[in-house]
Amino acid sequence: MTIFVNGEPVAAHEGQSVAAALLSAGRRIFRRTRLGAARGLFCGIGVCYDCLVTIDGLPNRRACMASVREGMRVKIATANHEQ
Amino acid sequence: MNHLRVDIAVVGAGPAGLQAALAAAEARVRVALIDRYPRPGGQYFRQPRSEPALASAVARQPKAQALFQRVHRAENVVYWPETGVWAAFPSDGDEWLLALDGPDAPARLVARSLVLATGAYDRPIAFPGWTTPGVYTAGAVQTLLKSEGVLPGRRVLFTGSGPLQWAVAAAVADAGAEVILLEAVSRARLFSLSGLLALWRQGERLREARAYWRSLRRGAAEIRFGWAVVEVRGEAEVEEVIIARLDDQWRPIAGTEASWAADAVVIGYGFLPENRLAQLLGCAEDFAPHLGGYIPRRDETMQCSLPGVYVVGDAAGIRGADVAQLEGRIAGLAAAARVQARSAVSLQAALRPYQISLAQTRRFAHWLGRTFTPGPGLYRLARDDTTLCRCEEVRLADVRAAVANGAGSLDEVKAMTRAGMGYCQGRICGEILVHGMMRSNPPTSTYWREFQRLGRFRVRPPLFPLTLQSLAQG
Repeated sequence: MTIFVNGEPVAAHEGQSVAAALLSAGRRIFRRTRLGAARGLFCGIGVCYDCLVTIDGLPNRRACMASVREGMRVKIATANHEQ
Repeated sequence: MNHLRVDIAVVGAGPAGLQAALAAAEARVRVALIDRYPRPGGQYFRQPRSEPALASAVARQPKAQALFQRVHRAENVVYWPETGVWAAFPSDGDEWLLALDGPDAPARLVARSLVLATGAYDRPIAFPGWTTPGVYTAGAVQTLLKSEGVLPGRRVLFTGSGPLQWAVAAAVADAGAEVILLEAVSRARLFSLSGLLALWRQGERLREARAYWRSLRRGAAEIRFGWAVVEVRGEAEVEEVIIARLDDQWRPIAGTEASWAADAVVIGYGFLPENRLAQLLGCAEDFAPHLGGYIPRRDETMQCSLPGVYVVGDAAGIRGADVAQLEGRIAGLAAAARVQARSAVSLQAALRPYQISLAQTRRFAHWLGRTFTPGPGLYRLARDDTTLCRCEEVRLADVRAAVANGAGSLDEVKAMTRAGMGYCQGRICGEILVHGMMRSNPPTSTYWREFQRLGRFRVRPPLFPLTLQSLAQG
C-alpha cells in the first residue's frame, strides 16, 4: 500500500506501524521540538511520546502506535525545521 | 453512560495478565481483559501486526499462541484491545471503578477485584546525545524487528546490561546488520561463583544464552564486557559514538574513551515497572533497586495492601516473563476465590504448586536483577546541557539550578522547571531527574536512601493523555 509522507508517496505494508514505514523509507527525523532539536522513534511501545507526527490532519499522534492505512497522509519535520 | 460490571478486571494482556485472565475464567467468574495494544501478548509475546511484513528474524512462539487461543475461547472473558485505563477509584461496597478509553470498551467498568498486570518499559539512561534520532531503546528495536521486520540501522551499537539486549542484538545480527555489543557488566562479575550458582537448574536459560552467543559470534563485529556508550555525537542523526570502560560503580574510567562509528545506538539497561495504576489506588510500596525501584508490597496471593487488588508480573518488580506467568496464575485463582468466597484452605491447596515453582523461578530473576541493575555511576553521564526531560526539554543545569534554589523533592523540581509535565507524564525522566538532583558524588552506601528521600512524581488521573472527546464520554 502507499502512504504519503509530506506529500511524497512511500510504500508501506498492511498492518505496519507508521514509525516502521517511516524508518523503512529512511526517514528518521519525525519532528522538531520547540527549541529545534530533532526527534524520532525512541521507546517504540507508546510510552515516551517522542515519535509524534501529524496523521490525516490530527497532530501529536504516536507513530509507533498508529497503523498505516492506504492513502494515509503523514506530516513529519522537514529540513527547514517545520513540523 | 456506557457502564458495565464484571467480577474481575485484568489490566494488561502480557504474560501475567493472560495467565490471570485464563485462571479466573477457568474458575468460572466473569472477566474483563483490558489492553493498550491492538494485539494481545504484551512486549514479551509480541505478535506481528501482519503476516507478510515479517521476516523470519524471530522465531514464533507456539506457547503464546496456545495461550491466546485459550483466553479467546473462554466465553466468560471479554477482551478490549487498544484500550487504556486512565483512572481507578474505590467504588461502593468493596468494588473498584475503572475509567476506560478504547474503541469497544465501556467508558466505565466496575469490578469486584482488580488484577494489575501493566508490565514495564525500558529503563532510560541520559547521556549527551541520547535524544538524537537513531538512538533507540532495546524494546523499540525488538518491536520493530519482531512485529515489522525493520532493522534500526546498518551498523548498530548496543549499550546496556542483561539478557534483553543480548537477545535483541542477536536478532539484529541474524537479520543481517553489523552489530557491536557493549555489556556494561564485567566478565569477571558475570562469570563469578554467584553467577554459576544462579544458573544451577536453569537449563532453558542456558540454551537461550548459548543461542544468542552463537548468533553474536557469527554476526557481531565486536563484543565488549565492562564498557558503555557515554556520548552520541551528531545534530540530527547518529554520526559518532563515544564509548568508555566502566568501573565497579558503573562510572566511566577517565582516559579509556574511544570514538566509534555507528548509524544506530540501542540502549538496553533493563526495565522500570509501570505501576502507576497501583500507585494511584494507593497500594503500599517497598523500594528495591534491583527489581526496578518502587514496587507494590504483596502477600503470597499477589494481593497488595488494598483488599481485592492484585499486582502481578513486571509491574510488581522486574522478574521476567516466567515469573510473570506464575504470578498471573496465582492472582487469577486468588481473585476468583475471593469473588466466590471460597475457603482459604482450598485456595491454599490450589496455589501451592505454583508458589513452589515461583520461589525457584524468582531466585534466578533476582540474581539477574542484582547483577545487571545499573550502578550510580551510569547516572552521571549527563552534562549541564544534556536534556533530562525530553518532553519539556529540561536540562541537567535547570534541575541543578532548581535544587540550588531550594527544591528538595522531585515534585518541587517539577513545579520549578516543568520537568515531567509533558506527554509522557514523567515516565521517561522521573528516575533520571532524581539522579540528577543528587549531590555529585554521594557515597554508595547511602545512595539509594538519598534517592528515596527525594521522592517521585505524584500520580494523578488521567494516567496518559486523553482527547477531550474521551474525557467527555467518561
